[in-house]
Amino acid sequence: MSMTFRIILIAASVIATCIVITRIRKSRMQIQNAVFWVLLSLLLIILALFPAIIYFFTSLFGMQSPANLLFLIIIFLLLTKEFSMSMHISGLEEKLKDLTQNIALEREKEFREKENGEKKS
Amino acid sequence: MKDILVIIPAFNEEKNIAGVIERLNEKQPAPDYVIVNDGSTDHTAALCRKNRYHLIDLPVNLGLAGAFQTGMRYAWENGYRYAVQFDGDGQHRAEYIMPMREKMDEGYDIVIASRFEEERKPASFRMLGSNMIELAILMTTGVKIKDPTSGMRMYNRKTIEEFATRINFPPEPDTISWLVKRGAKVAEIQAKMDLRAGGKSYLTPLKAVKYMVQVLTSILFIQNFRGKVT
Repeated sequence: MSMTFRIILIAASVIATCIVITRIRKSRMQIQNAVFWVLLSLLLIILALFPAIIYFFTSLFGMQSPANLLFLIIIFLLLTKEFSMSMHISGLEEKLKDLTQNIALEREKEFREKENGEKKS
Repeated sequence: MKDILVIIPAFNEEKNIAGVIERLNEKQPAPDYVIVNDGSTDHTAALCRKNRYHLIDLPVNLGLAGAFQTGMRYAWENGYRYAVQFDGDGQHRAEYIMPMREKMDEGYDIVIASRFEEERKPASFRMLGSNMIELAILMTTGVKIKDPTSGMRMYNRKTIEEFATRINFPPEPDTISWLVKRGAKVAEIQAKMDLRAGGKSYLTPLKAVKYMVQVLTSILFIQNFRGKVT
């Protein structure tokens, strides 16, 4: 890895960590979601500071360049995250639909009961 | 006893909930309680209605944090002085509520029913997790909490307000750690707990590992830069 790439990596991971921190400070993010980003930025900082780790695995897997392995790792992590977020969003949409239907059905019931009450009196 | 609210989050507890409420009502005077049914897929809600238990029925599943917060909002809005977090699976014993309250009256913000206040922790895989959390809290706050994962805790009105109104207040060890850091006074009293009576525990090995990573990252890193408002 070139010096420039390492500097970019360090800078990017530090900025990412700062964003996560400020968002949590402002109460905009749940801790359970922040955990992933904190751990990811820590991993990036570690890899940027100790590129020997990447070199070791690059030769272990017989890959062309350390940057390739780094990209592979990051793409894999992001795909996993993307998939779990996709699942999560589906769950949320389902819940939102259930809630909306619940409220509408309750209102209908309330309205019908009121109407019936008025007819009787 | 009417200034204490026992909050019982229940997810698929049709086998246990009746026993829990019966044992709660044995004590006289019985404390106020509320069951928060967390969108169960079994007959928990129907059973509670049939037996005329005091029930808040969530139409969708919110998870433990959301369900418990519902109870805390109820406690806050109805002026309760103390709130107790109490499991719906029968592992907690109602007999400790009064001793916890007495401890609370000495001026604490949180009292934990602790399995290890006087007794030693057994050496098991599960207790390794407990020890790690205990150590993490000790390192970041300087306070020793012997049973941080105990799910039976009593909170005072000030703490009820925080749980009721703020984001990031799940009833978990990292929240306790955060509150201690902010100056909350925590005490523990020795308590026995039973094994869950029926149904399955949600804690599979994979989930246990995920839980540990979450709680430890939260205590060791995130709680350190958490702002005053959150």
